[in-house]
Amino acid sequence: MINTRHKIEYNPENCVGCKLCYKACFVGVITWDAENKKPVFSYVEDCEHCCYCQIVCKKGCIKVCPDFDSQSFRQSFDVYNR
Amino acid sequence: MKQFEEKRESCDILIVGGGIAGLTAAVAAKEKNPDASILIIEKQTAGYSGKANKGGGVLQWFALDRIVPEDFLAYHVPTVGAYLGDQNIMAKYVAMNNDMINRLEEWGVTVDRVMRPTGPMTYVVGVDLDVTLKVRQKAEKLGVRIIDKVTMSDLLKDGEKIAGAVGYNIEDGTFYVFEAKSVLLATGSQNYRVASMWSNGRGDGIAAAYRAGAEMRNAEFGNFSQFYKIHAQEEVVRGENYMYNKNDQNVTKNFRRFIEADISSTAIREWYEQMSQGKGPIKLRTPIMPGFGKMMPNRKYGIPFWDANHANAEGLDPETNAEVVPGLVGEQSPVRVDNDMKTTIEGLYAAGDVSYCGSGACGAVPAPPARNRGSGILNAVFAGMVAGDSQADYVKDAVQGKICEEQVAKFKEAAYAPLEREEGINPMEIIDDVQKIMCPCENSVYMAQYRLDICKRKLEKVKAKLPHLKANNMHELLTCHEAEATVLSCNMHLEAASMRKESRGWFLREDYPDMDNENWLKWIIVKNVDGKMTLHTEDVPIETYPIQPPK
Ligand SMILES: Cc1cc2nc3c(=O)[nH]c(=O)nc-3n(C[C@H](O)[C@H](O)[C@H](O)COP(=O)(O)OP(=O)(O)OC[C@H]3O[C@@H](n4cnc5c(N)ncnc54)[C@H](O)[C@@H]3O)c2cc1C
Ligand code: SF4
Ligand code: SF4
Repeated sequence: MINTRHKIEYNPENCVGCKLCYKACFVGVITWDAENKKPVFSYVEDCEHCCYCQIVCKKGCIKVCPDFDSQSFRQSFDVYNR
Repeated sequence: MKQFEEKRESCDILIVGGGIAGLTAAVAAKEKNPDASILIIEKQTAGYSGKANKGGGVLQWFALDRIVPEDFLAYHVPTVGAYLGDQNIMAKYVAMNNDMINRLEEWGVTVDRVMRPTGPMTYVVGVDLDVTLKVRQKAEKLGVRIIDKVTMSDLLKDGEKIAGAVGYNIEDGTFYVFEAKSVLLATGSQNYRVASMWSNGRGDGIAAAYRAGAEMRNAEFGNFSQFYKIHAQEEVVRGENYMYNKNDQNVTKNFRRFIEADISSTAIREWYEQMSQGKGPIKLRTPIMPGFGKMMPNRKYGIPFWDANHANAEGLDPETNAEVVPGLVGEQSPVRVDNDMKTTIEGLYAAGDVSYCGSGACGAVPAPPARNRGSGILNAVFAGMVAGDSQADYVKDAVQGKICEEQVAKFKEAAYAPLEREEGINPMEIIDDVQKIMCPCENSVYMAQYRLDICKRKLEKVKAKLPHLKANNMHELLTCHEAEATVLSCNMHLEAASMRKESRGWFLREDYPDMDNENWLKWIIVKNVDGKMTLHTEDVPIETYPIQPPK
């Protein structure tokens, strides 16, 4: 689905630049800012809200906030505009 | 054309995809033939990407101290595989079960060996979400090279034989040419990007194999679906045993008599029929049970994973009595392989979710869970071990195919074409179009010819958009290629489903409700011949198998 309303909250304060969140993302939402050693949440619209980046971050910097409505399963009845 | 750096790499075995199948194959090949040079390329980050990190983690354990593989066939072939499976490969999978799990442990994977019974022959044991990472670490220790963030876009051939592959870095666009004696596709299945945890299955490995002329088998069995709560989109594993309609009728009774361990397409059909008759919504009248994944308490990653997901969903749907809808998961996995994981192209192998149905292992059901919970990771491990073994031998005598520079140039131009266009269509529009075709269960699970025909007409319009795909950056370029693959998978589904004029296993047709063993003990083979999709059937060699349908 084309989902544009997910949010990923990132608090850089405790970030140690370990790169784990960047590695953990299985669909390339997160890119890496090599200069500042920080993750960049570049393609949030593609986030599948699996929360893997959130759980691997040992510093608790990340919170994934999905918007389920923008990604609801498409049923016959929606498609035909019931 | 924009200029990107070009790099050349050479190896004996190129493995495409660093999920559990690809990494297992790398370790198995290195253990068999330590001299073989092995390179893995992974679109994201090997060891972290792939599905084995997405929550599940149960492995099927066969009680081989008291059963023989034929016992499992006697159960599986009539009830799940519906006589369409390759019984030899299924027997091989069962026979290797205990050894595979022992070997994973030797490689550093932690296995929770508390046996939880799932039937008279099987238990489940558990692994955590670091299973793939542990295998990556083992592979690196053995000297396997890994290049992350590089996607394979096409396969290179020398005549009828594999010669390597091309691809590009998904961040900086560097173009890669890989020269290899043998290539393994371990790129996962097609999930149409619908269900969130499964959506890394984007079918571009399947599409590359198809373009190269590899045969596909069982493409019509790629539409796994399960019930999800309508708002929170939480999957409700086993909830189909307690379905109620708006008149308070238990409608589960219409399709099953007793509680079963897993969802079947008949539950999806029941949902559709109730809704069409105006008897919806369908709700589940039971406290929702946790999936197997959550039942295992000792999971350092698995438990926080589900907790985080559940916390996000909480409040949107109450625990009980939530309305559910079938959500398409997909899992088309049609790359045809033999019992050594060889495709129909010399030197090209395929293992794991990319070829589960294509291997014939599961019969008339979509690839994992395939009504056989805990068989996804293990099938990938099985296929990876078999492929790695087989390739390790193959490369000892194989001669490197010649890289054809014309092919390279053609593929390179095709790969970057969407970046060159001034304007055009966003790839997400195409994916959205395909989802509108595939998601309704009456097009993918409970089909009828007139509905398939409507879908085909819609798909023709989508196909006409493909030459106009436009990418504004590398990330969108990858999405363009995934969109093309999504269209191809949908196309194969519609054609093969139209051809199969019966219902069998997971595959249900409203207009042909019965299983037809007289005419349809056949595999449908899809193949690209000079750019045209062709289909033919092949008899299942049922007379050579231990389990036969009743006469
Ligand atoms: C939510 C969920 C729960 C599950 N639970 C269980 C369970 O409890 N037990 C079980 O046994 N199974 C379970 N499964 C299924 C199991 O995880 C999969 O069957 C298995 O992991 C498949 O492994 P694979 O390596 O074949 O494919 P994948 O894991 O899909 O790996 C394919 C890899 O290839 C990469 N790739 C794809 N295309 C390209 C390309 N063109 N170039 C380079 N790289 C590419 C991908 O990024 C990915 O890393 C579950 C799956 C999900 C999603
Ligand atoms: S929630 Fe999952 S998909 Fe989204 S950014 Fe994190 S790892 Fe990637
Ligand atoms: S995982 Fe956490 S600490 Fe590590 S780079 Fe990401 S945000 Fe920073």
